[in-house]
Amino acid sequence: MSDGIIRIRDLARRYVMGQETVQALRGVSLEIRRNEYVAIMGPSGSGKSTMMNVLGCLDTPTSGEYWLNGHEVSRLSDDALARVRNKEIGFVFQTFNLLPRASALSNVELPLVYAGMRTRERRERAAAALERVGLANRMDHRPNELSGGQRQRVAIARALVNQPSILLADEPTGNLDSVTSEEIMRTFAELHGQGQTVVMVTHEPDIAAHAARVVVLRDGRVESDRSTERAAA
Amino acid sequence: MPLSEALRLALDAIWSSKLRSFFTLLGIIVSVAFLVVVVALIQGMNAYVRENLTGAVIGINAFQVRRTPISVGLLSDDEVRAIAKRPLISADDAAAVAAALPGARAVALQSGWPTPVSDVSYRDRLVGDVPIFGVTPPYQIVQDYRFAAGDGLADPDVRERRYVTVLGYEVASKLFDDPGAAVGKHVRIAGREVTVKGVVAAKGRVLGQSFDGFALVPFSTFESMYGRRKTTVVSVKMADAAEVAPAMDRAEEAMRVAHRLRPGEPDDFTVDKADALVAFWRDLTRVLFTAIPAVVCIGIVVGGIVIMNIMLMSVNERTREIGLRKSLGARRSDIRRQFLIESVVLAFLGGVIGVAGGWAFAGLMSVVTPLPARITAWSVGVALALGAGTGIVFGVYPASRAARLDPITALRAE
Ligand SMILES: Nc1ncnc2c1ncn2[C@@H]1O[C@H](COP(=O)(O)OP(=O)(O)OP(=O)(O)O)[C@@H](O)[C@H]1O
Ligand SMILES: [Mg+2]
Repeated sequence: MSDGIIRIRDLARRYVMGQETVQALRGVSLEIRRNEYVAIMGPSGSGKSTMMNVLGCLDTPTSGEYWLNGHEVSRLSDDALARVRNKEIGFVFQTFNLLPRASALSNVELPLVYAGMRTRERRERAAAALERVGLANRMDHRPNELSGGQRQRVAIARALVNQPSILLADEPTGNLDSVTSEEIMRTFAELHGQGQTVVMVTHEPDIAAHAARVVVLRDGRVESDRSTERAAA
Repeated sequence: MPLSEALRLALDAIWSSKLRSFFTLLGIIVSVAFLVVVVALIQGMNAYVRENLTGAVIGINAFQVRRTPISVGLLSDDEVRAIAKRPLISADDAAAVAAALPGARAVALQSGWPTPVSDVSYRDRLVGDVPIFGVTPPYQIVQDYRFAAGDGLADPDVRERRYVTVLGYEVASKLFDDPGAAVGKHVRIAGREVTVKGVVAAKGRVLGQSFDGFALVPFSTFESMYGRRKTTVVSVKMADAAEVAPAMDRAEEAMRVAHRLRPGEPDDFTVDKADALVAFWRDLTRVLFTAIPAVVCIGIVVGGIVIMNIMLMSVNERTREIGLRKSLGARRSDIRRQFLIESVVLAFLGGVIGVAGGWAFAGLMSVVTPLPARITAWSVGVALALGAGTGIVFGVYPASRAARLDPITALRAE
């Protein structure tokens, strides 16, 4: 069990909205090991994003345990959580979430800024990350000077730049056309090939087919969790 | 996040909405500029009053024995009536004071208020409304006059009631292209022919007022031209400032004896020095110095509230950015610092613009108006500190609001 990066047990997340309560997660247990490539699927509203946000330490569960690299996340202080988000987790959003007025390079530098890295080293590391996603020649471009696919690559570079234990992506191709999606998926596959642990939410079965393991959620519970053919390969 | 990074971010954010930033800062800019300008003017006036005005009006290290006090501020009716009953100051009084003060540099008589004005003309040239002073020769010592040409008035001029005059530099240079050529010429003052004995070197302007536009005539000649004045003044000049106060006491004693006052009877004259003028000015500035902080404070508080509002608005607009930064590992303290620095930089900029504006305005004032202005380091320091302080005080709340935002809630905000 030593290579279990993520372990969640009976994870529940309830949203209270006035009189109504929504059970987004109703007891999810899951374990993700180093260098796995996991696709999370399920119908809309099944709790995929909620789970990803909890995994990314952006949201806190109502109950249940979440162990990340052997630490129980729910017991961490606010600052420690910030550190985990900074060092352990790379999050890729459906909507890219780039700072519009900053260049691609500056956007990728951001996690390193909060890691307290010196400017020179930061630049080098960010440039290397951009190179890794094939954007070496777009470093000084602002997001609005980039295509959707390029923006998502910048976001991926940003997620990778601090060498996180795990790369989380919530529908990273949701805003992209199918050709660009395919390119982005190749990038993820390459990263996985280089040893990166990846957890990705997707609606598309053919995208899920890139993954070695598919977890399907329904109504806030795990409906199925199986390895695909590719896993053996 | 390192400070330099936070500073860069703050400048970037401020610069990206220049116009809004500027309007946000108007309150601070105006308050700070006001502070700088008013302090500059007061300081300038102070220096002027100290250095020029008192010397020019009374003479340096000098005091006066007068029938009426140097009137600054208002006297009550009773005081005015009491003063009206006082005897006139005479040449005998001047002699008594002079006898009591053998160490005095000069003891002079001069015609007092109201000083008559007259046209002074030479051939086809005329200078209008020149104040005419009737004086005894020591007056020229009291005033530290130097002569650009010719000589001053002398005792025989007074004794023999001669029709001679000493002209101020401005009058002389208007009547004669070369003031030096004035000596020996006959000019007309109040319809009489008077011979120019000398021209006093220029003293320059104080508060826009020339001190070179006058004509002196012997005291006796003055009295036959204009009659006896009710406000003749005795001026006494001592060698140095330390002698002035004891000399004033002795002069008072001598005057009481000359006027045969019993012990306990109030003085029926006034011994005055420029202190009264300086004190009046000091009172005035004290009032200003208490009023200014109040006005500035109100401006700063209003300016600060505007900044706070704008910062809250900015936090609101940038909720997603804050969420993103948090999702990338920003701690609360990072976010708090970012916004606090932004509001401090913003407010400090307001201070800088205000100081620059105030400085320019004060400079302009001293060029186009007779008001002198003197920028002091402390007012600039206070202004800048006020700006930055406002940023801190009014930035804390918006910054901590931003820092407390929950990452996922902030990211989802629209
Ligand atoms: N902030 C919130 N407040 C209230 N309810 C929420 C909130 N976020 C999610 N929910 C609810 O929780 C449930 C799960 O939402 P979630 O976003 O996890 O679904 P999802 O599987 O990601 O769906 P999709 O495929 O459409 O992205 C939904 O019913 C949703 O309405
Ligand atoms: Mg979702």
